[in-house]
Amino acid sequence: MIVFAVILAFPLYWIVVTAFKEPTEVFSMIPKWLPEKWTLDNFKEVFNIIPFGRYYFNTILYAFGLLAVQLITVTLAAYAFARMDFRFKKILFMILLVQLMIAPQTLIVPNYMTISNMGLLDTKTAIALPYVASAIGVFLLRQGFAAIPRELEEAATIDGCGTFRFMISIAIPLLKPTYLAFTLISVTYHWNEFFWPLIVTDSVKARTLTVGLAMLAEASESAAAWTLLMAATLLVILPLIVFFAIFQKTFISSFMQSGMKG
Amino acid sequence: MKTKTKKKILPWLFIAPTFFFLGMFTYYPAFRSLFLSFMRMNMATPEPVFTGLDNFKRAFSTPLFWQVAGNNLFYAFVTVPITMALALALALLVNQKIFGSSFFKTTYFYPNVIPMAAASMIWLYIFLPGYGFLNYLLGKIGIPSIEWVSDSRFAMWALIIVAIWKNAGYYMVIFLGGLQQLPTEIYEVATIDGASAWRKFWKITWPLLSPTTFFAFIIAVINSFQAVDQIYLMTRGGPANTTNMFVYYIYQVAFKYWDFGYASALTVILLVLLLIFTMLAFFFMERRVFYESGERL
Repeated sequence: MIVFAVILAFPLYWIVVTAFKEPTEVFSMIPKWLPEKWTLDNFKEVFNIIPFGRYYFNTILYAFGLLAVQLITVTLAAYAFARMDFRFKKILFMILLVQLMIAPQTLIVPNYMTISNMGLLDTKTAIALPYVASAIGVFLLRQGFAAIPRELEEAATIDGCGTFRFMISIAIPLLKPTYLAFTLISVTYHWNEFFWPLIVTDSVKARTLTVGLAMLAEASESAAAWTLLMAATLLVILPLIVFFAIFQKTFISSFMQSGMKG
Repeated sequence: MKTKTKKKILPWLFIAPTFFFLGMFTYYPAFRSLFLSFMRMNMATPEPVFTGLDNFKRAFSTPLFWQVAGNNLFYAFVTVPITMALALALALLVNQKIFGSSFFKTTYFYPNVIPMAAASMIWLYIFLPGYGFLNYLLGKIGIPSIEWVSDSRFAMWALIIVAIWKNAGYYMVIFLGGLQQLPTEIYEVATIDGASAWRKFWKITWPLLSPTTFFAFIIAVINSFQAVDQIYLMTRGGPANTTNMFVYYIYQVAFKYWDFGYASALTVILLVLLLIFTMLAFFFMERRVFYESGERL
């Protein structure tokens, strides 16, 4: 158990210590477990070389802006699938779930053409559009909405509560944990997204952190840049690791519930 | 009367936004790929010209296509079983309610939370020839330095190691979900009968867990066929295309050679493969719903 933990945790430890090392320390033939002299220069250097602040801003705007839109589309669809009757419901739900199996990178060619035709290349909107419909979100919330007892809705209806009022003031507040789970999954997934943003973005104004990290790696081929790269990598993952540390239980159980990625 | 029509129309209004975007960015592109796969469309011919099955014939007669398919199969069928075995082992370890098990669960799971792009950077540094950490460790047991990502014998293994490290925790969580649904009474009876832990695993856990295992297996295979981030960042499909896989090949054809017709045919081939795996998964989910007669899907 401990052996596995050490092996799996080692890379994280290694980025952290390397990010604080002097660039020359990397060249030691015997790896140093701790930096000889702890330094923040690598982090300063990252912000000097590439517009990391801008990439942070782009990523946050993209991930949370998309989440805001998803919350609306997902809530509506999930509520319909859970508590309303309509024709082709089962088939439509299957059609929606197919999305879970096709990652956006598989459809880069036609989706790139669509985005290009719309004149949206190199925008944050372009990165977000393919994810507005979220099968995983509908899947999670549908289970939640379906679990709300009929009697509660009937009682509310007798009290003169319409569908929308029931949704907003009763159903949605009951599903807070499910919404938190979906938020964690969505934000993590989009923070981490790499290939699709790489294809549709072309400049500093739209690029996300992961794409920025790749640009930095390409620009610095020399081995001396490793401390710098590790500092940049640490900056990319730090918010996630902090979030994960705070919400670890919710994180793990929400991935367990979802049973699928996306 | 009014409420009745409202009741009929409302669900359609509710699902409309989701299905609009689903159609636009999942189904329309799939059919557009199918359409363009019968066309010639490249730098020299920017307007699509119908050429029948030429793009598919070209794929099936190109050695690189078969190399890519072979690489992807090899990658999937080495990565997936090892990841599954490790994930199941971790799940069984963590599932014992002993002190610190939630700490270990967190440690095993964290690689899944960080981006593949970041994971690729970390591992490139660990794989570094000369002063990389892995070669230092191997040096200690007398193995000479390996050029992990630039030697055609090892590059694929480098990608496999990263994938296992990154995903084992995720599938561990899936297995934990499965394990926690197993009835505890059977284990109690087995313990009274004096069954060993080993026997309990093979006679009870393994068969009862098989739906979860199969499901996780399909999902993992589907994901393996869409791997690209680590290829782009670590090997660029090289050396000599030994790590080139489907999505990266599509990317090269489309965005390096601007041959959208051929790239569309490749997209269609990949989609057909994914569809086959998906149908297996769906067929299976239906059955699971049936046998457990629960509300789960």
